[in-house]
Amino acid sequence: MSLKRFATDGRLVVPCALAIITLIYLVDALQLGPPMRNGNMTPSFFPIVISVVTLAALAVAIAQAYRSLCRPSESEEAEPQGVSSKAIVVALITAAYLFAFDLIGYVISTLAYVFLMTLVFGGRQGLIAKLVGTVIITALGFALFELVFNVRLPTLWSQ
Amino acid sequence: MDVLGSMLHGFAMLAQPEVLLYMVGGFLIGTFFGAVPGLTSLLAIALLLPLTYSLDVTVALVACASIFMAGMCSGSITATTINIPGAPSSMMTAIEGYPMQQRGEGAKALGHAALGSMIGGSIGALLLMVVAPVAAEFALLIRTPGKFALIAFALIVIIISQRGSITKGMIATLFGVMIATIGIDVMQPVARFTFGSATLVQGIDIMPLVIGAFAISELLVQADSRGKHTVDLDQVKATKVRRRDFIPPLSEVREIGLFRYLKSAAIGYAVGTLPGAGGSMAAFVSYAEAMRSSKHPERYGKGNPEGIAAAECANNSMCGGAFVPMLTFGIPGDPTTAIVLGVLVINGLQPGPEFIANQLDLVAPMFAALFVSALILIPLTLYLLGPYFLKIVSIRRDFLYSSIAVVALVGSYVATYSTFQMGLSLVFGVLAYFMRKQKYPTVCLLLGFVLGPSLEEYCRRAMSISDGNPAIFFTSPDSLFFLVLTAVFFYFMVIRKPKDRGLGTPPAG
Repeated sequence: MSLKRFATDGRLVVPCALAIITLIYLVDALQLGPPMRNGNMTPSFFPIVISVVTLAALAVAIAQAYRSLCRPSESEEAEPQGVSSKAIVVALITAAYLFAFDLIGYVISTLAYVFLMTLVFGGRQGLIAKLVGTVIITALGFALFELVFNVRLPTLWSQ
Repeated sequence: MDVLGSMLHGFAMLAQPEVLLYMVGGFLIGTFFGAVPGLTSLLAIALLLPLTYSLDVTVALVACASIFMAGMCSGSITATTINIPGAPSSMMTAIEGYPMQQRGEGAKALGHAALGSMIGGSIGALLLMVVAPVAAEFALLIRTPGKFALIAFALIVIIISQRGSITKGMIATLFGVMIATIGIDVMQPVARFTFGSATLVQGIDIMPLVIGAFAISELLVQADSRGKHTVDLDQVKATKVRRRDFIPPLSEVREIGLFRYLKSAAIGYAVGTLPGAGGSMAAFVSYAEAMRSSKHPERYGKGNPEGIAAAECANNSMCGGAFVPMLTFGIPGDPTTAIVLGVLVINGLQPGPEFIANQLDLVAPMFAALFVSALILIPLTLYLLGPYFLKIVSIRRDFLYSSIAVVALVGSYVATYSTFQMGLSLVFGVLAYFMRKQKYPTVCLLLGFVLGPSLEEYCRRAMSISDGNPAIFFTSPDSLFFLVLTAVFFYFMVIRKPKDRGLGTPPAG
């Protein structure tokens, strides 16, 4: 088992990442003050207890993941644990959409977002149909929120 | 008399055009989401949550109820016809339904599924109407230490019901509790875990967590699915169904027997009241019990309508049971009722013993919608739209997921008219995606988030009452009762694990 495999396998990476988040949380909880004052629990008591228990559970999960990675038969037969490029692309497109939504409003950002999403989920075939579908989805979204539910969506000119 | 009057008022409310429209619309949406493999009624309700800011609470609750009932039933469509359960709760239906489809009896299998769902759903809704007010009376007797012990019991049962991944269930639950602690402390005006952000002082709303954990993460999972849930369109086109084929023969219904339906409904309802159990567990337990007590157990797994009836009756009856702990104790037993709790909280309502006593008129239409959805809409939808059901699975994935993405993200914007909520949804979506990839149950994340603040509040209140003496949890009779109950559940679910009789492990949800 190579070091690279350990460092990239989700079975180990995910609990380690969660442990780091929990540690940051615990440090912040400790900065809130002592857990008990005059026999009463303070705002830091519960977060400290929760984060310590979470860290203990994560230690068990990390140990289990480590053991399963060290077993050659299991680690070879197991499904690939990496992240697909499509999922990363969807996350990045979505992040860009949120930025654009605030900046240029609903219509243009949603048209671009929906079109890119149709490319990710359906490939590059039938671009005309995708364009028509994109316009329809954007229009229906606008109708649903703006007209049916009276939500004021941002526009390019309202920024 | 008041209870009866409220229930009748609830049925009368369904006759209002707007409420009726949302009930029927919700049912059709639930049917669609339940029938498409990979989508669930939970996702449909999650997408509905942001819209409830603009909806009347009664209308929103009615829509949630009909989506819930429809989603439980419609998973059987693809489970039977193409052997891909539309929802996890339909896995047992696939075991019996698909062999029937292979011998040309697919429509009849769907008819049995609809009949079982209709009976189970109706009984579950009726039991809810009867039991909820009584349970609320009982809940009034529970005092602060008991409330803490009850919530702790619920969280522990949710964790230990994640068979095979209790550690991961525990981590996910605790993460949900941790997220819930962000913002102002539950007892004192102290801001916690804001990391210098003024926006986080008011805490994290349930909405971005629901959208992130159940909609955004689903998009990422689907993008990552690598051919999972691939539907054979030729097989879909080759399946021809006539309406009259949906009606199950009376002889087969008689053979299944009224007692089987009633027993399965009772099992489903009881399972529904347990935290963390859900429709899959209800169908699994009922199916296993039907096989155990059947006169012809050898017929199971080869296309036996009795197995379909038992599974579908139980998972639809579960819908009624799941609402009892949420409405009477404020403890949601499954993610759907957790989101319904979110609908109530968004509208400034807090479920609990007093809620049923004072606001029964508000939730009675939801009870009525569960009943009407089960008794009328399930058979009616199957009869009218049944021949077209299969076309649902051939819908284009690119348009489907793009639409879901827009509704989910713009829906997140609705709550505060701020892209911060949308950003939070994305953050939680990515977190939930990685957790799901490694089989950390996101249902636990949500339930931990929902129950965490109450757990902390009652714990600190109880300790304050006892001047910091934790013995109060053992000297208070109601608290002791729930602690003993926790120990009993732990013994039977972890130490002495239930045998699954070769049926495998029920899926989560």
